[in-house]
Amino acid sequence: MAFRDGYLSEFVGRPAVVESGDERRSVGKVVDFFVAKPDDAFPRIDGIVVRTADGERISPVADIARVEMEGPIVLSVAPTQLCEPDERALYLIKDLFDKQIVDVDGRKVVRINDLEIANTGGTLRVVAADIGVAGLLRRLGLRRVAPSLLDRVPRTLIAWDNVAPITDANPATVQLSVSGSRLSRLHPSELADIITELSAQDAARVVQHLDDETAADAFEHLDADVQQSIIEDLGTDRAADIIEEMDSDDAADLLGELDEEKRAELLAKIEDRDYADQLEDLVEYPPDTAGGLMTTDYVWIFPHRTTAATIAKIRELGPETEFIYYLYVTDDDRKLLGVISLRTLLLALPTAFIHKLMDTDVVSVAADTSAQDVASTIARYDLLAVPVLDNEGRVLGIVTVDDAIDSIIPEKIANSLPRFVRHHTKKPAVAR
Amino acid sequence: MLDSATTEPAVPSQSSPVRRTTWSRRLLFVAALLGPGFITASAGNDVGGIFTYSVAGAQFGYRAIWPLIPIAVALIVVQEMAARMGAVTGKGLSALIREEFGVRIALLTMLGLFFMNTFTTSAEFAGIASASEIYHISRYIAVPLSLLVVFFAVLRVSGKLIERIFVVLSLVYVTYIVSGALAHPDWHQVARDSLVPSFDAHDPGYVGMLVALIGTTISPYMQFYLQSAIVEKGSRSNNLLELRIDVANGSILAIAVAAFMIIANAATIFVFNQAHAAHPLVVNQASDVAIALAPLAGKFASSLFAFGILNAGLFTAAILPLSTSYLVCEAFGFEAAIDRRFSEAPVFFALFAAGLAIGAALVLIPGAPLLQLSIASQVVQGLLLPLELVLMLIIINRVRVMGTFRNTRTANAITWATVVIVGTIALYYTYTQVAALL
Repeated sequence: MAFRDGYLSEFVGRPAVVESGDERRSVGKVVDFFVAKPDDAFPRIDGIVVRTADGERISPVADIARVEMEGPIVLSVAPTQLCEPDERALYLIKDLFDKQIVDVDGRKVVRINDLEIANTGGTLRVVAADIGVAGLLRRLGLRRVAPSLLDRVPRTLIAWDNVAPITDANPATVQLSVSGSRLSRLHPSELADIITELSAQDAARVVQHLDDETAADAFEHLDADVQQSIIEDLGTDRAADIIEEMDSDDAADLLGELDEEKRAELLAKIEDRDYADQLEDLVEYPPDTAGGLMTTDYVWIFPHRTTAATIAKIRELGPETEFIYYLYVTDDDRKLLGVISLRTLLLALPTAFIHKLMDTDVVSVAADTSAQDVASTIARYDLLAVPVLDNEGRVLGIVTVDDAIDSIIPEKIANSLPRFVRHHTKKPAVAR
Repeated sequence: MLDSATTEPAVPSQSSPVRRTTWSRRLLFVAALLGPGFITASAGNDVGGIFTYSVAGAQFGYRAIWPLIPIAVALIVVQEMAARMGAVTGKGLSALIREEFGVRIALLTMLGLFFMNTFTTSAEFAGIASASEIYHISRYIAVPLSLLVVFFAVLRVSGKLIERIFVVLSLVYVTYIVSGALAHPDWHQVARDSLVPSFDAHDPGYVGMLVALIGTTISPYMQFYLQSAIVEKGSRSNNLLELRIDVANGSILAIAVAAFMIIANAATIFVFNQAHAAHPLVVNQASDVAIALAPLAGKFASSLFAFGILNAGLFTAAILPLSTSYLVCEAFGFEAAIDRRFSEAPVFFALFAAGLAIGAALVLIPGAPLLQLSIASQVVQGLLLPLELVLMLIIINRVRVMGTFRNTRTANAITWATVVIVGTIALYYTYTQVAALL
């Protein structure tokens, strides 16, 4: 294998010849590059696709005898392997050139102008995507016209392990899981921004490749209309899996935006039946009240346990629970007796009893308290969360400070901006 | 004993208010009537369009109507293709051209689009200039003022609001139908000349009119615009029926408006010139029509026409440079969003400002040949249309891109026929013009 470093655009389109002795025989033209395992951090190029007189053939990289600065690519034997469609394989030109990708490091959607390849210890690998003007000019053939000018244009490259392709290929294949795992490195709100930027179709493609948990985190940051359009494309099975992973308050908000039929369909698919019932109840509360803001994901404890036993139990439950900083002390009937902070619990003697430590003067709100009043209450008493009680004093759920803030900040500042301009390159918002 | 609360549902006994209202769903029907197809088709009736239809009616009378019928068929087919491509792929036309044909073809297409749209923007400002001069406002005040209005409206006003204003303003075009009726045309002759084609290949003026009619009615820019609008709206392949209704509505209404503009001018200026061959009324720019209409069809029809020109000019000058800039950036992957700083999206802002500024500046050059500019831009559109349609046809017949939503044979046949006919007429006209120059 005698490939040199460079950019794919410098090699594609060149004639391929077979050299035997002094004789050179033309076999066709290089049209593409074949990658068998696209899920590597820097995928290995396994062959070049040559368009020969009788169709496209793959020549293994090992058969490449010589590649010069320009001129034909010299093979040791004529390519024979048929170029067949392969779901797991990647064809660099056909599948990636000119296509959109997510730049995970730069957190934006960009278009591939060229691909940088490098010969690393005998294997040829894709190392970076060129997304800048230099790549465009190289594609336009500036190297031939004014090579020194091209070298002066600054390059914009993204290392390949920071690239997540947006493809509509089958999400079951490896290539997509790599895309998904790279995207999951983004903060959920950044991922949500990127999803919002994409067209409805691409957004669904991207979500397809995420694991349920990452998708659920991103969903919590998406606008209702984007959520709905993605759910439409995902199908109810996958959508239900994602909803199941979402915080109950966000999941209820999402379900509340759907029509009744679709909501029932999704709820029926949720495996945890108790959770589905809870969501069904939460959906009934108006979104701008404590009931609409609250989550049912909190920890309640009994008064006659020791701190040591309680802490042990929290260790067990904590990973599954959204909010563990306040522990709500209730009786058998879920009536609120008091509250104790994680801080108090940790600082107390292991043998102390909860009912001796708990604060019995608990600030609470009712399910129909307005969001504004909930936020004021939380602010006035410097709370991290406030419990929502029914008429009998039973705990229905809690509203956490972040959800309370979200609800009173003027309907997402971003939404007051021109809608069409919030999408960038992907959506030319001419549609106004 | 100790448990997470997730095991027991909390059922509120006292509160079960009905959650969100769904009245917005009821607006869907209205939205379909005034959807992207409607706005796009209205944008086709810009200043250049008004001028072309008026001159066609003034010079050729009712004989200028019949070409609109085949043009309407082609318009519906072509716009439906653009809408379908947007709904199925979720990508704009410039993005698809880039992805399917690579950098070079995309660059050529985008260069053509930018220059054509800048000329068209210029024609819009020319319309604003001449319409304001009817009201004795100098173009050196009116054009810079409109430039500022457009610039800040686009940069500062919310997109949703602008869209609503545009939809309402689009309805102004319906008033041309009133103008046409006010001109008291001879309806029998209108009907006869609309249905019986007549063609005069030896009259370069007539051939030029055909090219301009096609170029301004199915302007290449409209396909880009509509497809982006569909993508932006988030429409999918399962909304195709709704989209098709919208496209058909918009196209038919746009063609009807065009026909009535021709009728208004045919019934007045053409008829007058037949009777007064010695001192004919000459229509050199769009505003001449408004002036000519005053004594013939009444002051009301005349003011309506002038207002229509102003409205069309502002409408198109506002969307053309902006959307062109979006399309170019979409094709090449440049950052494009109006809420970014200049340094974050330099190419986008530079293209937008350049398109707008060049368009306005051309009009302000003393003695600028506005009429020739306007006609040239229409003819260039006629020449570029076949090229655009060929690109669209190739993409829309690719299984990899469109899946089962590829073109039907009928749609292919109609579009190829349009390509051949428009291409032949446009090349023939260009040939006669060049031959006349030599």
